[in-house]
Order: sequence, then structure tokens, then C-alpha cells
Amino acid sequence: MNCKEVINLMDGYLDSELDPITSQTIEQHLRDCPSCDRAYTAHGSLMRAIGSASPYHKSPAGLRERIQFSLREEIAEHPMRDLSQLAQRLSPKPQAGARTIHVGTPWNWLALAAAIIFAAIITFNLMPRLRPGADQLLATQLIASHVRSLMANHLTDVASSDQHTVKPWLDTKLDFAPAVPDLSGKGFPLVGGRLDYLDNRPVAALVYQRRKHFINLFVWPTESNAAKATKTISRQGYHLLHWANSDFNYWAVSDVNADELQTFKQGFEEQTRPH
Amino acid sequence: MAMALPLKPTHVSESEGFASDQKVVKFAVVKKQEEQDHSRKGELISFEETMLPHLDAAHNLAKWLLRNEQDAQDVVQEAYLRAFRSFGGFHGGNGRAWLLTIVRNTSYTLLKKNRAADFTTFDEEIHAPTDESVSPVTTLEQSEDAELIKEAINELPAEFREILVLRHQEGLSYKEIAGIAQIPPGTVMSRLARARGKLKEYLAARIGKEK
Repeated sequence: MNCKEVINLMDGYLDSELDPITSQTIEQHLRDCPSCDRAYTAHGSLMRAIGSASPYHKSPAGLRERIQFSLREEIAEHPMRDLSQLAQRLSPKPQAGARTIHVGTPWNWLALAAAIIFAAIITFNLMPRLRPGADQLLATQLIASHVRSLMANHLTDVASSDQHTVKPWLDTKLDFAPAVPDLSGKGFPLVGGRLDYLDNRPVAALVYQRRKHFINLFVWPTESNAAKATKTISRQGYHLLHWANSDFNYWAVSDVNADELQTFKQGFEEQTRPH
Repeated sequence: MAMALPLKPTHVSESEGFASDQKVVKFAVVKKQEEQDHSRKGELISFEETMLPHLDAAHNLAKWLLRNEQDAQDVVQEAYLRAFRSFGGFHGGNGRAWLLTIVRNTSYTLLKKNRAADFTTFDEEIHAPTDESVSPVTTLEQSEDAELIKEAINELPAEFREILVLRHQEGLSYKEIAGIAQIPPGTVMSRLARARGKLKEYLAARIGKEK
């Protein structure tokens, strides 16, 4: 290693961020080369001076309280966080640039926020009467959950291709026990399971694979009078397939094509049909 | 929420049995509200336990980046709100690095809005050492002039201030710094070297001028 290379690596050497072999090579060079050794000593004292002489700006009194207050305000303002988050995530033009740094929240904003939240809650809860809207909203939530599960490195809570591992895990976390069939024979190997939160309740998400694609199958118990019709929705390149039986609601979400999703459903129903 | 219940959608109110439906709806609204309040409070407590211990680090970085106390406090408050909103995406790991990433991004949003000038590249001519014969390091070691160092760091562009703070004050690894500053891990060492080099030149220039 020549002097130029040693000088180039000097910062990494002093920060102890080099691999052991490179470090040793530099150490050897410093023993043999007085000019590099001087540079090493000088750079080392500069670094110590930066570390010891630069003031650390501790948080001033009151900032912690201010933050805690604004967090509580945030909870009061946005109780329907799931919806507002989804709206942000899925709106075609995120308004990132429009966000401002604010010191205090003026009351008229609170009133507006309350009105919006209220409208959202009412719409949400009147949904059974307005079926198509309810499905669209649920579809938005389902796609968001699916995308989020792939995006945030949180596809599964329990990663296993063994149905006898995934099912008991889910059973302990939920107040219902969804079937977890093995569909690898149909070309849909099981990847794992996850807890999710949809339609205002915890749900099971079973993750299956189709070649390089993932299928999230969301499962929760059916309400007594819910419609049992099969539905398909396509949006933003994702396909959703809904079916239900007397026990459970199923929503399969994936970017595989609609036909494959149908095959998946048939396979699933064959395996879960009571014998 | 009860205040808004009188808002009856007219097409619904015409249907029979609406009175009882309304009760069901009201009950559902209240119940769901309570459940959600409960879970959000739990989330807040867990968020505060994880993130408030890093308040000093958050404030320190914001203060160095913004060079203004009021801006720093506003940014830290905003960053905590943003962090809370995306806390669902935090799955353990280094909480301080995660929070500092948000503080850093929030700071830059404000910096970009306030002072485009801060993003101009470092002016080599202004800050070139004027007197090569003076060794800044010797002088520094003798005086350990904190004020001088602080001024010198504050003269550097934001990307250099940030990397010096993360390394020298927070003691973060190159890998963690790469994550926060959103640069490839291989770039951290060269940027640190440039930041330290510029600082040295600035100190040399200052010490040369005072002589």
C-alpha cells in the first residue's frame, strides 16, 4: 500500500471502520513511514478536538412536554388513523410539499379535523346500507395492507411453510381459528402468517406465494347477515377476490392475474371443505 | 361523537325501523371509538418509551442543522409527530437512528424552504487556507477553543455538519450514518474525510487571520 492509499483510508482507520487486514496493513505502513505517521497524529488530534470541543445541544426545558402535548392532541385529532393514513398513501398525488412546520394548532383546524373524522366515521358505519361504497373502502384498505406488507419488510409475523406452525400461532393471537390449508400442490406454497387490522378488527393474513408473486389472504369471521356473494375488484394493477362461507370472510389480494386468483380460491375451498 | 348523530341521511330516515338502526349505529360508533382510543393510547405509551429517550440527540442534530433554536424545536416537535404517525413501520432495531433519520429529513424540508443558499457548494476560494505555516491542530490542542470549533462547523454546508455530528457526537457507525444521511455506505468515509478536511482548512484560515 502506498502513501496516497494510506492517506485516503486514514479517516476509516481512525474511526476503526476498516476490515482487520486493511487496518493491519496501514499500521505496518505507519511504522515504516514517518511522513504518514505525522499525518496520522495530526488528523487524530483534529478528530479528538472535534469530538471534545464541539458543544452538544441538549434539549431545552419544556420541549419534552410540548412534544407530549402535541402527540396527545394528534390522537384526539385523528382517531381514525387507519383511514387518514390510507388516504395519504393511496392518493395519486401525495401532498408532501404542502406540509408545514407548525408551532401550535389553531382551533379552526381542530374543528375542521373533527368534522372530517366525524364524516368518515358516519360514512364508515352507515356502510352496510351503501354496499358498493363499503366494498370500495375495504378494497382500499386491503390493497394498502397488501402493499404495506410487501414494502415494510413485514410480510409475515410467523414465517413458515408448515400449516401446522402457522395455524396454532394465529390461533393464540386471535379470537377465531382460521383454516390454514397447504396449497403447495396447487402451486401456491404457504409463506407464513401475519396479524393485520382491517374493517376495524384484527384479522388473520395468510401469505401464499405464486412464482415470484405474493398473495395476501385476509380472513375474519363473517357477520351473521353478511352477503355471501363472490366479488372481484381490480384496482391499481391489484386484483381482489372476495368470498365467504358460513364461518369466514375471505379477501385475497395480489398482483397475480384474476384467473390465477380464482384458481387459488378453488384450491383453497377444496382443501377447507368440511369432510 | 354523539353530537353528530342527529345528522340523519334523509333517504335512510324514510325507511322503516330506522329508530332502532340508529341505536345500533350509535352503539357501534361509540364502541369502535373506545376500542380505537384504547389501542392508540397504548401505541402512544410504547412510542414515548422508545423515542423520548432520544430527545437530546434529536434536538442536537436539528440545532446543528438549522443553527437556530426556535427552528430546531419546531422541527423536533414536527419530527416526533411524523415519527408517531409512521411508528407502525418501526420494527425494533436502533430507535435513535430511526428517529434521527426523520429529524434529519424534517430539518432539510425546512432548510430547503428557508435558505436555498445553504445548499450551495462549499466555496473553495473563500475557505482556502491563507497561511500554510500555521498548523491549526497545534493551536487547537493548546486552546481547545469550543467556540472556534462551533463556528467552524457552523460554516460548513449542512451535509458536512450532519455527518460530523452523527459521527463525533452520536458516535454512530458508518452503516448507521449511511442509513440516516441516505448515502451509500461506501460514501460515508469519503464524506467524513472531506468534512474534516474543510474544517481543518477553515480553522487554519481563522487562525491565520487572527495572527
